[in-house]
Amino acid sequence: MEEKIITKEDLLKLCDDIIAKGHTLLAPGIAEYVPVTNASQIQLDSSALPTKASYKSYVFPKAEPILYYKRSKNDVQLIDADVDGKKIIVLGAKPCDTNSINIMRHLFNWDYEDKFFDLRQKHFIIIGLMCNSFDDYCFCTSVGSSPVSEEGSDLFLIPLDEETFALRIVTEKGDEFIQQYSGFLKEGDETRSFAVIEKVKHPEKAFDSKQVHEWLGNNFESPKWDGIGNVCLSCAQCAFVCPVCHCFDIVDEDYSYSEGRRMKNWDGCQFGHFTLHASGHNPRDIQSKRYRQRVNHKFRYYVDKFGQILCTGCGRCSRGCPVSIDIKEIVANCKD
Amino acid sequence: MEELRKYAKELLEKGEVAAVIGYQQVNERRTKPIIVTDPADATKLVFNEYCLNNLSVYFTRARIRSLMRTKDKPTKLAITAKPCDVHSIIALIQENQIQRNDVHIISFYCHGVVRDFGCEFSGDYLASKCITCETHKPLYYDKIFGEDKVTPQASDKSLAKIKELEKMSSKERFDYFKSEFDKCIKCYACRAVCPLCYCQRCITDKTIPRWIESSSHGRGNFAWNIVRAFHLSGRCTGCGECDRACPMDIPLSLINRRMAMEVKDLFSFVSGRSLETPTLVGSFDKKDNDEIFM
Repeated sequence: MEEKIITKEDLLKLCDDIIAKGHTLLAPGIAEYVPVTNASQIQLDSSALPTKASYKSYVFPKAEPILYYKRSKNDVQLIDADVDGKKIIVLGAKPCDTNSINIMRHLFNWDYEDKFFDLRQKHFIIIGLMCNSFDDYCFCTSVGSSPVSEEGSDLFLIPLDEETFALRIVTEKGDEFIQQYSGFLKEGDETRSFAVIEKVKHPEKAFDSKQVHEWLGNNFESPKWDGIGNVCLSCAQCAFVCPVCHCFDIVDEDYSYSEGRRMKNWDGCQFGHFTLHASGHNPRDIQSKRYRQRVNHKFRYYVDKFGQILCTGCGRCSRGCPVSIDIKEIVANCKD
Repeated sequence: MEELRKYAKELLEKGEVAAVIGYQQVNERRTKPIIVTDPADATKLVFNEYCLNNLSVYFTRARIRSLMRTKDKPTKLAITAKPCDVHSIIALIQENQIQRNDVHIISFYCHGVVRDFGCEFSGDYLASKCITCETHKPLYYDKIFGEDKVTPQASDKSLAKIKELEKMSSKERFDYFKSEFDKCIKCYACRAVCPLCYCQRCITDKTIPRWIESSSHGRGNFAWNIVRAFHLSGRCTGCGECDRACPMDIPLSLINRRMAMEVKDLFSFVSGRSLETPTLVGSFDKKDNDEIFM
């Protein structure tokens, strides 16, 4: 790991250059990460809470065409959909967001290589920013991360004072990117950034993910699940704001009888019709079964399959839940 | 608060109600819904400026309704409701979703709630619906607690926005809503929290044929939000839960409020205000102006 120093002024100049080159620069806004058109709009605030939604939609769009079709009398012609391979730079990504693409990559390259996801993530550069605040809903430390985790970042910023950042070069991709701006960088001093990191307060660990994994394996039919979903209203807010939830639905949209396209759209496991079979049977017919699925998928199935927890501990799902269901509380209760 | 808990406990102990749908405190500035069936849990109930949820949404949920039939005879459901939530209950009764006799309304004198959890209770952070609220005392109730207090003063930004939109050309207005709907991710939180969105199978979930595209692109989002506006016209009671629930901060209640203004002008009807009058659609008259039909 190499460490440099960059002033805020130079960092904003760097941003202006990124915009001038026609790349997409994303930075945390109020509700979501938003494309920045002028570096002066950027607030690099390490004490801001996570945005309501993550930047997932830029690598896994909420609705995207995956192929087009044309129908004639005796033939169907399939036309590939193009992937927008535009370079996207995320500036000031929270440590609870930076690893999201790495976590989802397992799924999108498991039994089928999703070229849409792969091409987009290849063009992503993630500049993480140390996090210096947490609220009742944050639990990154319970899922193996932390407010100072560099995991998933290509470059990582640590605020040294109001005007200066330490810039850690984490990956080769990050190194290659920052080399073009070497004029902005000064030699870093790790003792300064370590002193900052040491003072960062971490949210208290709410549960032990290994114990949760084990409990889930033995307690599929536990009475604890009963009534857990009674207050849940079955929307997909939790899944859609989640940085790593990745369920999708494939639907065909006809423009006319002869033309149409096939779409890949976000879907959510808390919707009642998510598992509704054509026969009318629904294996997850009640909300408690659907919530059990959500917890199991995140803390057991994904771990078994890919060795990774499907959760970054950002707390968005709980913070934004219309009926204030707190996943941290429910998972912490997954014990005897 | 103690009075409320004692009252709820007694209702449950006497078997007068199968459950009390109420609020419990999460932290200083947040509450969440709780379905109390065990009298011992009545101690968790609270009522304050952070009781934002419109709990009447639970009356149409199968799991909650099933609680009413757990004993030998069908028992009532009690609900703690703000006076504005009572409007939704009235609308649900009018639409035959629940019978008045099946509901035990525990209400409060209300002087407003905050716009969102975590806000301080003041004019700056008052929920939009509270600014023009005229129902500090519920129109219907079985038990009432609290005392009448003054609502903090605040400017009606939502009405100002509606006036601003009315002055726009239709192209400008279309562009405004297009930019707002572009944010929609179709999580349907607006539908889920709405007490009047109780269809067992929403038109957006119908696939043969598919009336509304499930994709959250411009066309699909417009289709959903316009259908939502139409289905709630003359029915929406203005509780504002859709606004609060939207993770993308789309100002959905602007549409509902504007439609409610239209309904009031045309028919002198405000949804959820009286059990004596029929619903707006239910009071169709041949003499109604043809122009109201699309």
